Order: sequence, then C-alpha cells, then structure tokens
Amino acid sequence: MTFEIPKTKYSGRIREITLGKGDKAITVGGESCYPFYLYEGEMPRLPRIAMEVYDCPPEEWAPAALEPFAGVTDDPVAWAKKCISDYGAEMICLQLISTDPNGLDRGAEEAAQVVKQVADAIDVPLIVWGTANHDKDSEVLRLVAEKCQDKRLVIGPVEEGDHKKIGASALAYQHTLVASSPIDINLGKQLNILLGNLGVSDELLIIDPTVSGIGYGIEYCYSVMERMRMAGLAQQDDKLQFPIICNVAKEVWKTKEVHIPTEEAPALGDAKKRGILMEAMSAMILLLAGGDVMIMRHPEAIRLVREMITELTAS
Amino acid sequence: MLLIGENINIMSRTIGPAMKGRDPAPIQELARDEASAGVDYLDLNIGPARKAGDELMGWVVTTVQAVTDKPLSLDTTNPVAMEAGLKAAKSKALINSIAPARVDEELPMVREYGAAMIGLLWGLDGMPRDANERALIAVDLIYKANEAGIPNEDIWIDPIASPVSVEINQVRACLEFMGMLEEIAPGCRSTVGLSNISNGTPADLRPYLNRTYLIMLMRYGLYSAIVDAFDTELVKIARGEMPHIVELVHRVMDGDSPDLASLGEEEVKYAKTVRVLTGESLYSHSWLEI
Repeated sequence: MTFEIPKTKYSGRIREITLGKGDKAITVGGESCYPFYLYEGEMPRLPRIAMEVYDCPPEEWAPAALEPFAGVTDDPVAWAKKCISDYGAEMICLQLISTDPNGLDRGAEEAAQVVKQVADAIDVPLIVWGTANHDKDSEVLRLVAEKCQDKRLVIGPVEEGDHKKIGASALAYQHTLVASSPIDINLGKQLNILLGNLGVSDELLIIDPTVSGIGYGIEYCYSVMERMRMAGLAQQDDKLQFPIICNVAKEVWKTKEVHIPTEEAPALGDAKKRGILMEAMSAMILLLAGGDVMIMRHPEAIRLVREMITELTAS
Repeated sequence: MLLIGENINIMSRTIGPAMKGRDPAPIQELARDEASAGVDYLDLNIGPARKAGDELMGWVVTTVQAVTDKPLSLDTTNPVAMEAGLKAAKSKALINSIAPARVDEELPMVREYGAAMIGLLWGLDGMPRDANERALIAVDLIYKANEAGIPNEDIWIDPIASPVSVEINQVRACLEFMGMLEEIAPGCRSTVGLSNISNGTPADLRPYLNRTYLIMLMRYGLYSAIVDAFDTELVKIARGEMPHIVELVHRVMDGDSPDLASLGEEEVKYAKTVRVLTGESLYSHSWLEI
C-alpha cells in the first residue's frame, strides 16, 4: 500500500482584485489554496509590497528607517518617486499622518492636495491611508476620493463607524476600499456585508484585518487571517474571499525594540539590523497567514521578503 | 425539559435598584410574570454579593416565595449568601452553581439542605478548551459530589455555552459534550445558561440563536436550561409545541440543505441559524440576511 499525503479539500477561491489602473496596475488574490501550499493549488498572483510615504516629515523614526530616505522626507512627491526609482516600489502607500486630530490636525483640503500631487507624479497604484479617526477620515478621505476621481486609488481604513460616508464617495468615483476590522473575523465579515449592502462591488474591496508586529500580538492577527482563509477557501464563505492588506511597517517601527541603540542593549544585537529583521519577519509571518499586500518601509526588509517569496514559489 | 427563568437578576435596571433598596414590589411582579409565562424554576441572581450577601439572598428568597410556589435556583458566587438562601427556601432549591474551585465550601451544603446543584464546568484553569476537557472536569466534579453523598439526579451539569460571536469551536464543543454526558455520568442532569450563546448579538436577533441552540442541545438530551422566561416561542419549543421547527433544525444539523425558497420566512431563519451554530457558515450580525 502506498502512502498518500493527505490534501486539503478546497471549495472556494480568493477574488482577484486590481489595484490602480493603466500599465502599472497590480492584480492580487486569486489563490485556490492556503498561503504557499502550491502542492495543493495555485497562487496565480504573488503577494505584493507597497512602500510607505508619510505626508509630513516623520517624527520619532529610528535612524535605520530614516537613512534610506535622507533628503526626501519633507517632500512626499520626491519621497514617492525615490521609492519607485531607487527601490523599485511597485505600489506606494501614502500615510496621511498629518491629518491626525491629535497631531498636526491638517485640514482635508490641504491633505487632499498632497494626495493629488503624489497621485499625479507617479504611475504605480497609490494606497491612501487615513488615521482611523472616523470623523476626520470621513472628511479627508471623501475629499481625496473626489479630488482624485480618475485615479483608482485604494482608500482606507474604512471601518464600520465610517463605512457609509467613505464608502459612498469611493463608490461614486470607483476607488478601491480597504475594509478594516479590529482583529475579529466576525466583525470583518459583517463589514464586508455592510459595504456590499451599500453597493460596493466585490471587485473594489480588500480586507485589512488590523495587524501588529512580532512581540505585539501578531499571533492573534495570524489566527484571524488564517481563519479568514479557511472560511473563504474551504467553507465557500464568499464574504471573506477577498485579498488581505497588512499595514505592518508602522506597527513594527513604533515598538520599543527598534528604537533602543545598540550600546544600550547589546544583547539585542545591532540596532539597524534589528529593525530591518523585525519588519521583514513580521511581514513574512503575515504572508504565511494569507496576506496579499504588505505595506512596508525599509528597502532592505523589502528585499528580504521578496527573496523569501521567490524562494517559496520557485518551481 | 425544565425551564429556569433568568430574569430576576441584579444586573437588570429595575431589579438591581429594587434589590439594593429592599423594595419587594418590582421583584414580586417579575416573579409572578415569570411564573405565569410557564417556567419551572426561578433563578435569583444576586451577583457576587460580597457585602451582606447573606442578608440580601435571604430577603430575596422570602420576597419571591411570598408570591409564588415555584422552586428557586439560587445564583451567587458567595457561599455565605448561598447558605442563607438555602435556609430561607421552602422547597428543594437548586444551587447555581458549584465549580471545582468551590467544592470544599459548597458541596456539604447540598446534602445539609437537601438541595440540588448545578455543576459548572469552569475548571481550575478557567474555561475548558474542548469537549474532552469538559468531560475531565465533569468526571472529577461528579466524583467529588458523589463522595459528599450527592446522588447523580441532584447534579445538573452545565457545560457552559459561550457566545457564537466569540469562538465557534466552543459552541460546538458544548454540543459535543452534551452528547457524551449520559455515557459519562448516567442519571446526571444538565442545564445551560442559554442566553450566553447570543451575547454580543443585536438584541432583536438574539432569540433566534437562543431558540435554535436550545433545539440542538435538546437533541443531545439537555435536561433543563436557564432562559428568558418571556420568549414565548422558546417556551413553546421546550414544551414540544413546535415539532415542525424542531424537525427542520434536526434536518439541517444532519447536513440537509433545504431549498430556502420552499420554506416559510421563520423557517428560513431557523435554517440559517443552524448553519451558523454548527460552524458551517461563519457568524456575522447580518447572518439572517445573507
């Protein structure tokens, strides 16, 4: 009797979602198996990485994270261009940090202007990420959707509390929405249903399960993403058959561990490598859990993750 | 199927102040209403009652007994309050509940006062993770209860229903355990805090989860349940007055997928709810709409 390796029975497939438009548009999703289970199904679209750009000079970034962007961090357009030309970014994620009501509290008009400038200056897909403050995001992201109406942006985070306002304007101008839920699979499904009820088509939705980095509860994110994939692929749950986006760099680079200088904690190793590795490993874990798009920061961390993706999918 | 009305609870906006202010009227009114709604026992939940719990429980028992002869389920984690309630109770009371952490203090009371007990399967390490851990805790608890002279028919095992919106595997484990209980402990009885299954669900939709889960548990031999006394459809189900719904729930549990278009509006809701409670379909607040 020959031994047969048991195989998972899949009954569903993740939808393919196209981000951006034109020659540089990127399609993600389409998996018919668990992440990298290429002996059981296919991943016709490999996971992609978006490089993040802040809309104002970052405060409190570790030196290791600032170094690759020296000279452009006060100019989002130059920063985005540098990511593309110097580091081969396939997508840009513009983080609207300046709009945070607890920070600079920049107005919607000015913020939308910056988004427009960046969108006009690049040809790769642009993800625009707010501050998760419902009132402010409703104001800012609605204006962004309108001002960039022909750009096919990816706009988020859209949460249950602001899904109607942001959803309606994104719907009007055909942008893709990032449906964001607080590490809870039931609430994630519910938001997708609500956005569907609002009229958002299945082709314009990507899921943000809310993630964290290594050491800060990443196992919960892993578990929720894993269950989303199980529901979508093995239980035919069509409300969870969407690609997943992970806004991970911001989480990793705000931790205590990436900020401690080498001399203060020699046991933790070289400070620069430490931050890079924490980012790369966090992203890799989330890819293994089912992530389709990683929002990342350090070019070296990105290189490491791309290498792993290539190795894991080599035939 | 015995029903224990859950409504007299210190967490209630009317009952809480009445308990604290020793105002009998709202409590007695609710006790009468629950009795006429057709439940078999009245649960009196006074919470942890750390301060003067004995005096409060004694008073609540006397207050309720003044208007109804229904037997009482005494619901507190304070052993001193429990004993005061047992002393005041005129008929055989149900201790709600005894978990492994409190066996030494509370098991002796069961015999002393000729009461029955709910054996809560909340282990020393917290919530059991699956059906087997429930079984382990149950065997140990029942053994200790038997040693204390309590016969199986006075032990009502509560396998703990947990919210469907939190962890579906626990919803299934509770069901699975219910199917094992008769074999593990012949003659033992059972109960479950039913409304917990729908905790976190929008209030108007909770009854569908409660009723459907009750039918599913009854199929595995559930003896009693702690329920909302005023859910009339639920009471009818427990009384065997809705056989066609019960039959439909059983069919869907067995994997049958009836053509939803051929079902009535209420039947569709039950069918969809079974699929959510078995884990076949992932729960979301809109589960009845999709």
